[in-house]
Amino acid sequence: MIRAEGTAAPPAGGGNLAGRDIAGLLFTAEMYGVQVDQLAAVLGVSESRARAIAARWRRQRHAESARLGPGPPWIWLTRAGLAGCGLPYAPAPPALSRLAHIRAVAAVRLALESASGYHAAGAYWRSERRLRARVGGRVGLRAHLPDGEVHWPDGAPVAWAGECWAIEAELTRKTVGRTTAIMQELLSRTGDYGCPAADVLVPGRPPRHARVLYLCSAAARPTVARAREALGGAAARIEIRALPPGAAMEPAVRPAAGRTARQPGTTR
Amino acid sequence: MISRYVSLLAVRAAARGALRLIRLAIGAALIVAAAPVSLVAAGSATAAWLRGWPPGRLYRAAAYCAPMVIAWLVATALATRSWRSVATAPYLAWLAMWHHAAAGSYPAAAAVIAPAAIPLGLLAGGLAWSYRIRSMETGSGGLSPGSAVTFDLRQWRHQVRSARALIAAPGSLPLTTQNGHVVAGAVIRTIGHQGDRIAAIPYPRMRSHQVVVGTTGTGKTTLLLRLWAGFMATALRRHAAGAGRPPLLVVLDCKGGADARRIADRARRVLRAAGARSTAIWPDEASLSLWTLPPRQLTTTLLDLIEHGTGAAAYYADVMEAVVALAVEAPCGPPASAADFLARLDPGWLTLAYSSGGYDSDLALVRSAARQFGDIALRYRTLFRRLGSGLDGPGGFADADAWYCILEGTAEISVAEGQARALVDLLASYATGQPDGSGQAREILLAVDEFSAVSRRLPIWQLYERARSLGLAVQVSAQSWQGLAADDDERYRIAASADGGIWLLRTPHPEPVTGLAGTRKLVDTTRRLLGVPLWAHQGTSRIREAPVADPALIRSLDVGQVAYIYRGGVTFIQVKRLIGGPAALAGPTGATAARESRRAHGQPAVARPADGRASTVPPAPGGSAPAWVTHGDASAVSAAHDRSGAVPPDPPPRPGPPTPAASVPAASGQRNPLPDVSELLDEAFGAEAGP
Repeated sequence: MIRAEGTAAPPAGGGNLAGRDIAGLLFTAEMYGVQVDQLAAVLGVSESRARAIAARWRRQRHAESARLGPGPPWIWLTRAGLAGCGLPYAPAPPALSRLAHIRAVAAVRLALESASGYHAAGAYWRSERRLRARVGGRVGLRAHLPDGEVHWPDGAPVAWAGECWAIEAELTRKTVGRTTAIMQELLSRTGDYGCPAADVLVPGRPPRHARVLYLCSAAARPTVARAREALGGAAARIEIRALPPGAAMEPAVRPAAGRTARQPGTTR
Repeated sequence: MISRYVSLLAVRAAARGALRLIRLAIGAALIVAAAPVSLVAAGSATAAWLRGWPPGRLYRAAAYCAPMVIAWLVATALATRSWRSVATAPYLAWLAMWHHAAAGSYPAAAAVIAPAAIPLGLLAGGLAWSYRIRSMETGSGGLSPGSAVTFDLRQWRHQVRSARALIAAPGSLPLTTQNGHVVAGAVIRTIGHQGDRIAAIPYPRMRSHQVVVGTTGTGKTTLLLRLWAGFMATALRRHAAGAGRPPLLVVLDCKGGADARRIADRARRVLRAAGARSTAIWPDEASLSLWTLPPRQLTTTLLDLIEHGTGAAAYYADVMEAVVALAVEAPCGPPASAADFLARLDPGWLTLAYSSGGYDSDLALVRSAARQFGDIALRYRTLFRRLGSGLDGPGGFADADAWYCILEGTAEISVAEGQARALVDLLASYATGQPDGSGQAREILLAVDEFSAVSRRLPIWQLYERARSLGLAVQVSAQSWQGLAADDDERYRIAASADGGIWLLRTPHPEPVTGLAGTRKLVDTTRRLLGVPLWAHQGTSRIREAPVADPALIRSLDVGQVAYIYRGGVTFIQVKRLIGGPAALAGPTGATAARESRRAHGQPAVARPADGRASTVPPAPGGSAPAWVTHGDASAVSAAHDRSGAVPPDPPPRPGPPTPAASVPAASGQRNPLPDVSELLDEAFGAEAGP
């Protein structure tokens, strides 16, 4: 059972939302949910200030928060919050089985958005949640959705203006065959997500994703690298990088051990 | 009696407390009275703390205010026509400030006092900041003795943050300065060197020996690329201005493998952006000719390429030397290729060559060594097969501005050793007696990476000393102190002769190198423990020797951070990554395609021009530019080395006739490559660990 932090929320109130709040709410909605430390990074405030802002969102019934796993509390948007943002997503807390992945993708987005070229180009992050909402219930059993897309507008002051990148955050090892298949699918797709089936793969049309950016944990990297090698000429369109610092969740506390294990190099 | 003593103690304590309160009150009153100065001082000291600035920066800022103060005083003198008013102007401004403040006109109050308060405040802030640093360095400041350590670590973080902000700012770090210094990056901290924001290395140091030590993934390649590009840009500019000879950069990458090819491609792009007209990658895309060596040198080199035994085997070495000398120094001239040389290792050929009269002793030698010819020819045939065609020419160092030579020191050590020996001999020969086409010698920088892997036949100290005598600058890089040379004697000999400085990146065992930076005298203060966690401010001080380059700090350097040790001082630098433009021509694939195309047309891979001088310009149909040559043009140079906006120096005009122009269409199959996004990804996710 998920228990919300704090006491019962007061009656819903509109409250004034600053531009920073709106950006934070949209980020939280698009990423399924975020942990407080990542929310602090989104808002550009300290972690304690982010907690206060999250508490205010809770009071305004825009968001809920709870300790879903190890590390800081998670924040996700309520139905009212999503409606306020104009997003047609189903309100739900982040799935427990996907917490680590959601955190990694959010960290990737934060790292990418912190690059000066990203802002200068006016790039746009299209989240997996948005893609999934576009596809609706038509995601096939083997169909794969990227963890995000980055759209670089035409005319942006970067050499890769007009490109669309698929983003994949890899925490755990898949098989090389499965990873290669995903890469091929992403590289060969021509249509948008949610488009008619006939447009998904049209020979002669330019591919939807100019390149695929893989952000890998140390464990997953060899597999991804081998999968890229298996692609042959298309391997040049696969970029592999390490996950940014802070992408990993704090390891869970083992009751028997009686002591919290910390990842080397992490700080609290 | 006891009660009287206790009373006395109480009175003394009360008196001390009162005195302290009075002191505090006076201090507070002074701070309030001089509020504008206090505010500026507090602000500047805080800014210096946050940015990790040295106090000198605040002093300089105060000095920069001098024109404002002078203008203000001159205006006062002109308005009042009285020197007395000028002398009392600060006091009058102070009074006027308080009047305006009392009337609630704060902007006017600030404007009135600014000319006096800003420089004085900066000066006071600088003094306060200097006092704080000094007290922390001596261990007398802070609440506990550990405060000094915390202070230093925090200041390091602040300084790193400032340096990173500087290298991220567009246009903040050009490749070279106007006075020809090579910019390596942003200064984090200096000890014993002059403090500045930009780490600029004078060009003469690039013409001296240097040593680079850094573990894999610490940014060594990034640093080397920056230094090479800086050398190339500065030397070209000096040459264009008539102040120097044209440059030649020769890189010996002694590891080989796929990583070497990747770095070679990066180096080519970066060097092209720095103004290099052509970069040759040996042996993949260009070749050199061993046979251009002077005959005596050629004989020595050919003998050194073959492993000789000792003891009884020395006899065969002597026979081999005699036979090789006969073949190379034949009356008809030295051999022009490996096949030519092998053909001469035949008693019949040599007898015929030396039978023109006057060579009786040589003919006798041929006869006496006739039985050994077969073995000697077999050994050289094997050697040339293993060495490949890279040294069988044609081509020479004069044909390009930069040569990136890849030696397979990891996969094929014995081959790489032979290649290294031959390349160094070729370069030495070129440096001594082979002026380039314009009749000028070149300013040569020889950069060797992990040379110890291939230095069995040519000790690196010998390379150093040969280079010194030839006027070459040698830049030795290694992943560790142990990788510099085979033993400590050689290592110290190399490090001690690095007149151009030592670049030290993160490495687990930096002590031998940091020891070369020497020590400095520091004041060490002990403090009395009053009781945990209180320490008194009384104690004793003494002078102690501390290393100029702290080994612990070197061990903790981040990627892209380097300590530059020079003349007993050290400068910690955040290296600015250099990004070259996309390759104008295809890499190895394109070169291979071009080579295949030439073979298909029945043409040799590389032709000699009409003047007979070796050239690696291939005679593709219609006369194309060589596949390995990337000609620097205006667009390439304006594409700039620095995507952050740093403008590279103008490409200097290149004297001499232009290289034969290309007129053949590019090799088929070349694809438009995707734009390079590594700069963005490096910024977002950190630089990828290099080899």
